[in-house]
Amino acid sequence: MAKNGTNSEDYTTPLRRLLLAVVILCLLGLFFIWRIDSPRVERFRAAVIDTVIPSFDWAMAPVTATVNIVRDFRSYQRIYEQNQELRRELRQMTAWKEAALQLEQENAKLRDLNNVRLDPRLTYITGVVLADSGSPFRQSVLINVGSRDGIVDGWATMDGTGLVGRISGVGPNTSRVIMLTDATSRIPATIQPSGQRALIVGDNTSAPTIDFLENPDQVRPGDRIVTSGDGDVFPPGLLIGQVAQDPGGRLRTRLAADYERLEFLRVLRDHGARRVSSPSALILPETPPGITDAATAEPQQ
Amino acid sequence: MDSGALQIWGMRLLFVLLTMLILFFHLLPLNPAPSQWAGPDVLVAMVFAWAVRRPEYVPILLVAGVMLLADMMLQRPPGLWSVLVVCAAEWLKSRERRQRETTFFLEWLTFAGTLIVITILYRTVMVVLILAPGTLVLSLVQVLMTIAIYPAAVGVSFFLFGVRKSAPGDMDRLGRTL
Repeated sequence: MAKNGTNSEDYTTPLRRLLLAVVILCLLGLFFIWRIDSPRVERFRAAVIDTVIPSFDWAMAPVTATVNIVRDFRSYQRIYEQNQELRRELRQMTAWKEAALQLEQENAKLRDLNNVRLDPRLTYITGVVLADSGSPFRQSVLINVGSRDGIVDGWATMDGTGLVGRISGVGPNTSRVIMLTDATSRIPATIQPSGQRALIVGDNTSAPTIDFLENPDQVRPGDRIVTSGDGDVFPPGLLIGQVAQDPGGRLRTRLAADYERLEFLRVLRDHGARRVSSPSALILPETPPGITDAATAEPQQ
Repeated sequence: MDSGALQIWGMRLLFVLLTMLILFFHLLPLNPAPSQWAGPDVLVAMVFAWAVRRPEYVPILLVAGVMLLADMMLQRPPGLWSVLVVCAAEWLKSRERRQRETTFFLEWLTFAGTLIVITILYRTVMVVLILAPGTLVLSLVQVLMTIAIYPAAVGVSFFLFGVRKSAPGDMDRLGRTL
């Protein structure tokens, strides 16, 4: 390096081999440290991304906008069909709107009778999508709000309609949202109207699978899926999507959020969310269920 | 600094700029929905193309730094892919003198073989350490796409940036034959 190895003999010198060995050891060391103590290295990664991405931002926004304009322009070719389709949908929607208004009034009356107070802690912060994961193997996006805006690991993010993902990795100015479609995403959910509990398991496709379902017979395609609030992962009752069945007969989720066009994301403030501080907290609950069961079961015998 | 050293440092700077450009296009939030196919790993194709032609433009530390940055930015396990690429690039550099007279087709085959070997190693280590390496199909598509764009990476490096193998008569700045 120092001698600008222009001579090819340099490549066989011991110094060069030593440098190679040191580099390999450093990289492997970093990899194993990451494997052993993931949260620390991930915090470092968040800090690196937090410094690099905002410097890309000035160019990223216009390039993304240009590509999207070109895509929109292509869709003008089918504008007549789309218009007809939208008119039909609009007629249906007016009917639904009437029904919704009536239900809302009824709901308000009933709430008033019951003295229900909606959870005031669920306020939100809106962020703009800066970048995506950059790799086909990971499904995540980076948004332009971070710890400076009070974002905390583990909070839920939604677009206008449905759940998008979970905050994982917060820098001062940016934070990463692991989407429901990522292969590492597991979200506890309830399927309405049967009330069945299940896990929404991301598998790197646009429709995450529904797993650990008690009784699949009670679930039909078209049922609503909402978060269940189990394990303090998310506040309960956030819309995830609808049940759908793939050709193989497997139950999957048709996500309510529009993943094709994620532009603005809402991060829900949730002060009851479980904080992830140590590596084992990722896997284990605070008190493993087996221990308490055994403790209560033994005195009875 | 004389013109030779200036040119080498210029090309190293160019290499870093190209890396940033590639990462920039990887990170554009055009379609966050998961797709069925994977794009080529242009960065690896460029590193290998340059390592075969002009080892002095891509020294170990530069390759390691750039690949580590890519690992960090692209949400890969930090260090694993970098270490494989650094080793492969050094191996290609050590073959550089022998490869100088071979045809491009042979070089392409060497590239394909190297890429397949490091991808298999990468996935094996991920599986052994219980990390999700992603679907096999996606990896396969990515490897094939990268092999397919290798000639383009070489062509762009050659015609646009003048990264070509040193000819037999070339001298370095001290007047020694390369």
